Amino acid sequence: MIIGMTSVVLFLLAWQFAPVLGLINGRFTSQPSEVVKTAAIVLASPEFWMHARISLLEFGLGFVLAILFSIPLGILLGTSRLARQLLDPPLMALYIAPNIVLLPIIIVWLGIGVGSKVAIVFLGAIFPIIVNTMAGMREADWQLIRLCRSFGGTQLDVFRRVLFPSSLPAILLGIRLAVGRAVLGVVVAELYASQAGIGYQITTYGQSMRVDYLLVYVLAVSIFGYSLTQGVRKIEDRLQRWRPVR
Amino acid sequence: MMRLYEQFQDLVLGVASLLVLVVVWQLVVELGLVNPFFVSKPTLVATEMASQLNSGILLRHTVATLHALVLSFGLAAGVGIGLGLLAGWFRDVESALDPFIWFKYSAPTIAFYPLFIAWLGYGLPTIVAIAFLFALTPIYANTVSAIRNVDANLVRAARSFGARPHDIFLRVAIPGSIPMIVAGLRLGVGRALTGVVVAELFGSTEGLGYAVGFYGQKLQTTPMMVIIVVVVILGVLLTQLLSRFEAATSFWRTGS
Repeated sequence: MIIGMTSVVLFLLAWQFAPVLGLINGRFTSQPSEVVKTAAIVLASPEFWMHARISLLEFGLGFVLAILFSIPLGILLGTSRLARQLLDPPLMALYIAPNIVLLPIIIVWLGIGVGSKVAIVFLGAIFPIIVNTMAGMREADWQLIRLCRSFGGTQLDVFRRVLFPSSLPAILLGIRLAVGRAVLGVVVAELYASQAGIGYQITTYGQSMRVDYLLVYVLAVSIFGYSLTQGVRKIEDRLQRWRPVR
Repeated sequence: MMRLYEQFQDLVLGVASLLVLVVVWQLVVELGLVNPFFVSKPTLVATEMASQLNSGILLRHTVATLHALVLSFGLAAGVGIGLGLLAGWFRDVESALDPFIWFKYSAPTIAFYPLFIAWLGYGLPTIVAIAFLFALTPIYANTVSAIRNVDANLVRAARSFGARPHDIFLRVAIPGSIPMIVAGLRLGVGRALTGVVVAELFGSTEGLGYAVGFYGQKLQTTPMMVIIVVVVILGVLLTQLLSRFEAATSFWRTGS
């Protein structure tokens, strides 16, 4: 902890004083003190919140749609062998491939507004959730399934009382991995073509070399992604608690 | 025999599903359900791909992308494994690096591209830098946890036979962590490809990412589809290659 703090402080000091000492050109790097000052201005401006709201809307819509779509599909793939054999190869290919490459064609389809961002968030988020839901379903304890059946559990009971609860940690892991990809998706899509949003602001400030503003916006995105990831991790831990230690 | 049949069945059904996808794509366009302006169609994509292959333009973009990929992935592998070994072995190094890794992990790297262009210039150096940062995290993280999770019994055994710390590092920790490091490389290569393509989309005059953006601005869906297909194939091939490597480096292990 102390060492981590020290290294951060050293980094900030170097960043603060290197331009002063003329070691690097401050125009291209800004300074921590500048960034803090700018952060106060930016956070107080209604402009920031307006753009943040738009990005958040795009992220939220795409992510909720992704969850609603991928969990059922993952369940289907995890429980049906035929579905897995048919859908696994194309899904895997799309999971591996950088789905950002679809961005230009999605813009042709949906325009440069909210729709194309929602689509990119959706595409970025579905694959980790599908793959992990599928894995969770398949790794369910066979003995528990058999136990449930021998006590007269129907297919639905097996699913509700064994498969779903036991795959919940895997599903949440998928959601956690999806957060990072979805945040990247929304920012890249807005950077590429948009009229509003955090990514739009980043391009504007980047092109005019306002490094301090750019860093404040980038930091805002980082903090958002980090907190959301940590939030999902908290839920994972809470759900993990009732499990017996193996 | 049964296993062989099962593997065979997986392959047959997988190929069949891809074929069905292509046929459905062609049919919905032929039947007029979807406007070919938006999705093109497989026959057009195949013809376009052949003509791009003949003119050499597809090859040029692919080579440019692979060039940036090799440089950035090589750099990420070197730095990631190097730092990972240090951080895995010395806890202090890990605590010193941790805040930066966390920041890098949650910050959208691509947002820095205007800065990278200002620092490094337009084109290859910026692309390599961004893809390097994309690929670094999984390689570093896997290396650290591989070294951390080396079998304690092996370490104890080596120590009781008089091994010194550097013996343990070289003879137990490193060989024991190779499979997990290679798994990190497999994750990293996919992310490096994403990084290269994204960076090319923003600041480049060649490469597959540039090409897909270029055709996108001209609203030419057929050549875009060609590039998308090439990128998907490239991603699958690279990951398969690293998976093979992964299997090859862990073959000597006994099942555990």
